[in-house]
Amino acid sequence: MSRFFATGSDSESEESSSADEITPKATGTTFNKNKEAFTPNLILCCPLRFRFEELTNIIKTIRNAMKIRDMSKCLEEFEQLYRAFLKSKTIVDKEGVPQFYIRLLADLEDYLNQLWEDKEGKKKMNKNNAKALSTLRQKIRKYNKDFETEIASYKENPEQSAEEEEKDDIGSASSKSDDDDDEGITAKSLMKKKPQEEEKKAPEASKFLKGAADEESESDDDEDSEDWGSDSVDSGGESEDNEGAAASLAVVFLKKAQDGDKQHEPKKDGRRKRHKKIEQVEEEVDEDGEAEEGGWEKVKGGVPLVKEKPKMFAKGTEINSAVVIKKLTEILQARGKKGTDRAAQIELLHALSGISNENNLGQGILVKIKFNIIASLYDYNTNLAAFMKPEMWKKCLECIDELLDILFENNNIFIGENIAEDSENLAISDQPFRVRGCILTLVERMDEEFTKIMQNTDPHSQEYVDNLKDEGRVCGIIDRLLQYLESKGSTEEVCRIYLRRIMHTYYKFDYKAHRRSLGLQGETKSEQDQEESEGEDSAIIMDRLCKFIYAKDRTDRIRTCAILCHIYHHALHSRWYQARDLMLMSHLQDNIQHADPPVQILYNRTMVQLGICAFRQGMIKDAHNALLDIQSSGRAKELLGQGLLMRNMQERNAEQEKIEKRRQVPFHMHINLELLECVYLVSAMLLEIPYMAAHEFDARRRMISKQFHHQLRVGERQPLLGPPESMREHVVAASKAMKMGDWRTCHSFIINEKMNSKVWDLFPETQCVREMLVRKIQEESLRTYLFTYSSVYDSISMETLSEMFELELPTVHSIISKMIINEELMASLDQPTQTVVMHRTEPTSLQNMALQLAEKLGGLVENNERVFDLKQGVYGGYFNRDQKGGYQQKQNYQRDQKGGYQQKQNYQRGGYRNQNQSSY
Amino acid sequence: MCFGPFPLHQTMASRKESAASGSSPLETPVKQIQIDGLVVLKIIKHYQEEGQGSEVVQGVLLGLVVEDSLEITNCFPFPQHTEDDVDFDEVQYQMEMMRSLRHVNIDHLHVGWYQSTHYGSFVSRALLDSQFSYQHAIEESVVLIYDPIKTAQGSLCLKAYRLTPKLMEICKEKDFSPEGLKKACIGFEIMFEEVPIVIKNSHLINVLLLDLQEKSTVADKHELLNLSSSNHLEKSLQLLMDRVDDMNQDIGKYNTYCRNLSKQQQQKQQYLQRRQQENTQRQSRGEPPLPEEDISKMFKPPQAPPRMDTLLIAGQVTCQSVIFMGRSLF
Repeated sequence: MSRFFATGSDSESEESSSADEITPKATGTTFNKNKEAFTPNLILCCPLRFRFEELTNIIKTIRNAMKIRDMSKCLEEFEQLYRAFLKSKTIVDKEGVPQFYIRLLADLEDYLNQLWEDKEGKKKMNKNNAKALSTLRQKIRKYNKDFETEIASYKENPEQSAEEEEKDDIGSASSKSDDDDDEGITAKSLMKKKPQEEEKKAPEASKFLKGAADEESESDDDEDSEDWGSDSVDSGGESEDNEGAAASLAVVFLKKAQDGDKQHEPKKDGRRKRHKKIEQVEEEVDEDGEAEEGGWEKVKGGVPLVKEKPKMFAKGTEINSAVVIKKLTEILQARGKKGTDRAAQIELLHALSGISNENNLGQGILVKIKFNIIASLYDYNTNLAAFMKPEMWKKCLECIDELLDILFENNNIFIGENIAEDSENLAISDQPFRVRGCILTLVERMDEEFTKIMQNTDPHSQEYVDNLKDEGRVCGIIDRLLQYLESKGSTEEVCRIYLRRIMHTYYKFDYKAHRRSLGLQGETKSEQDQEESEGEDSAIIMDRLCKFIYAKDRTDRIRTCAILCHIYHHALHSRWYQARDLMLMSHLQDNIQHADPPVQILYNRTMVQLGICAFRQGMIKDAHNALLDIQSSGRAKELLGQGLLMRNMQERNAEQEKIEKRRQVPFHMHINLELLECVYLVSAMLLEIPYMAAHEFDARRRMISKQFHHQLRVGERQPLLGPPESMREHVVAASKAMKMGDWRTCHSFIINEKMNSKVWDLFPETQCVREMLVRKIQEESLRTYLFTYSSVYDSISMETLSEMFELELPTVHSIISKMIINEELMASLDQPTQTVVMHRTEPTSLQNMALQLAEKLGGLVENNERVFDLKQGVYGGYFNRDQKGGYQQKQNYQRDQKGGYQQKQNYQRGGYRNQNQSSY
Repeated sequence: MCFGPFPLHQTMASRKESAASGSSPLETPVKQIQIDGLVVLKIIKHYQEEGQGSEVVQGVLLGLVVEDSLEITNCFPFPQHTEDDVDFDEVQYQMEMMRSLRHVNIDHLHVGWYQSTHYGSFVSRALLDSQFSYQHAIEESVVLIYDPIKTAQGSLCLKAYRLTPKLMEICKEKDFSPEGLKKACIGFEIMFEEVPIVIKNSHLINVLLLDLQEKSTVADKHELLNLSSSNHLEKSLQLLMDRVDDMNQDIGKYNTYCRNLSKQQQQKQQYLQRRQQENTQRQSRGEPPLPEEDISKMFKPPQAPPRMDTLLIAGQVTCQSVIFMGRSLF
């Protein structure tokens, strides 16, 4: 409030704090008066009078209320008055506070104090009034603080106050313009500080200021004079203020010329400064943008950056490192700010690097600039999900390459993220350069960007292939950095870059080493030489890098990733035992669920690869176990990070989906899902079919693989069975054949041209795998056959079996022996005749069922007993226990009996007794 | 399994007219059932034509009561219809059928219904409900159970059942809670009563049968001599096992209910005791006793599982085990 009353008598502190706020008023009035002089003939309606009339009316009611001691009315009216006064502020600003207003305030305060003191009167007051009184008293106290001086002067001299007021007005006007001079505030700052109630004026003022900048203030003045017309007349309309107005007018008029000069000067200043302090201007622009309308910002925003960038240094400026560094910091300060043109900034930095190169400012600066170029390239996309544009990416790769070149050429450059900004040494070339920045982070970021680009490219397009070609460059950069860091970096840094290297190696099949291990002699010697010189086996590299990480790494995550990659690599190259041992030794299975999702995805990939490896090696059970977790969920795609599932669209929101998308593995690293499923189903088939045959009548039979059973059921539901088409149908058909012990059909379903092209040809050692498969099918079919049809035979010659299944006699012998030992087959071998003699002791299905029923009935009786126990309650406790004991004894007897049965029969199928042993 | 044919009140009314002229059958329950050979043949034919596997065929029995025996002289099948056949009106069909039969001077009094069964698995809620509604409306109604599988093996298996008066009463009250059944002293043994059957062939039927015997091929006769009943045995054993499983489940449910109930009783007792203690304390301090709260609201007794199903399953188990025994003796 005090800003309206910046009179000479105001305290110093008040004035200084409100100085900024005063000045705009001053200019406002200045022009008003000014204008009035030019356009005296304009007559408009008179808001001033209207406002003042409103005020006086309210004051009248307040005085009436005071007379009748109606405090609530008083309070009400006072609030209204306050609002009305605020409304008429614009006018009051110009004219000063009307005397009657001050008078009322003073009177009201006195009156209230008087009432307050009057304890008895207060007691008599009703509740509402008393409440209103206290509120009003507090309010007026607070409010009157703003008008202290006026009220004081009024109280001193109630009669003369009117005249004084006018003087005040003049005084304030002059003091305001003084402030103007003293502070030398630029036009811009004036305008942005405009109070809100002058919103309407603000654009006009700014227009004017712009005009000033263009040195066309005259024409703008004319415009203004029309705009301000209404106000100027007001002052004339108020007869009271006439004199004062005239006086102030004169003062202001005199001031005008001065003001004009003042406004040009700061402008020039500003322009001079602008060259050096671009970012400052920007800051101001930003603030302006917030304070003013958008249109205003637009004009100003681009100007300093776009237009003035090309001429970075004034002509003739001596370009030395200090200047360039300063410039660099200038540019960098704009980084991350709203409204910064990022593309332009990159341009600018490039130009700067060019300049520094031209002027031979030393490698230190160049390195620094390069760092920043790369950083701003990364900054270019504000959105984390968006990926780099190809040209940006190319630029980025080039830049990193160049940076590495420089670093390799100059051994005396020290870089590090710990080097403080002020301890940098960029210029002095006789000392080693010290540059802040971390090349490792940049390269890691580059790697991530590469992943992002690959994620966002359609994997079946030519574009993907083109992008994938850059992988070589990425690897090259990583390799170079690796060399660099090996000589210079700390162990942590080396670990990090090693991991990057590993990440680019582990999923690639090393065909070179594979060929070499096969010992293909077809190649000429020179080719072999060339191969050898090309590099060591990826296995050796992996071994070296991983072992370094195992030894040196202190963050758990890098080691975990390294182990997983190492296992993956082993598994990929069919080194099953190494891979398995590493997996078991690392104990990763125990705590992988605590790892972050990307590591979990890596773990899943590794497990899958391990399972496929086991399958290739013929370890069917291991393969099945490794793949079970992934396959049984039915979400293999999601678990391997190879795609999002559609079905849980409603479970996740867009945000989660974005995060999940970022986790996806690029297409060239994918594991073939059909291969995975086929491997799983075939191994499940090889395990499940004999098991099912062995436990046909077992009520407690458990499924080894739910998914496999599901596929079987789907196959059964088919109303019309045509020849199998898909991989799954092939496996189901093969399973059916195997169930009958028909291994030839089974073989033809599993291994045929369709399956070869779909699955088996994807393995590196196709032939081995197929041979292994055939053998497994033969063996398991034999087992299934024996389980299913042993009850039909009295005895069977092993030779016949070996012919039927095309297995060697010893193999058949060993399989049958194993079955007998495991009590899966109730038979004995007759050595001289080479026959299997069946004992024919298996219970028939009816007997089996009867046994089951007996078991169930036992359970039923037990349950019934329990109910009976409850019924008996507390009383029957003793009796009850006895009875139960008796029952249990009876049961024991039964069990004995059963045991006797078993003993007598002696060779009940293993399933009953060796549940654990035979359940996988 | 859908409900059997509906007892029709209209027919009951007309039956009463005729009954008024004859003896009073309501006094003496049906002691014996005389079935005309025609009815047996019709039932067998009905199943042969429409029944497949475990599907069940049903039909309406017509006849009249003579003193203490019920004579079933004719029947007609109840057509099978699918759910989507909305237009079909069962009641209308029955009415039409009986009217037409009356026109050709056949007994048209509704005296019960028949149903085929699959390995003796006929004791079910649906059968109970429809037989109840029959007996409720027409006192002398019976349900004929025809076992086609056993019949195919060479021995006609036809049984007539009625609900015992006790069960009728319970069904009337619809109180299947454990207490209700306990009060009624009902067990699975006395739910149904079997009524002895006499089959009476007219000369014409005898002639027809002899004719058929002539026509039947050797293979058909051999079928009768087939001794390997293990297939059927397995099937019925399987069904028996399923029922035992159901029974087990039911008992488990009842068990938990009992436990919950007793636990709650205990809680209630404890609460009451505490309340009493507090009240005596308060009294000693001269304070007013705590207001009585509705205890039954605080301790809602757990929902008792309906026991009728258990009873039915028990009945079914007995029935099936009897049938099983019969089969294994073959």
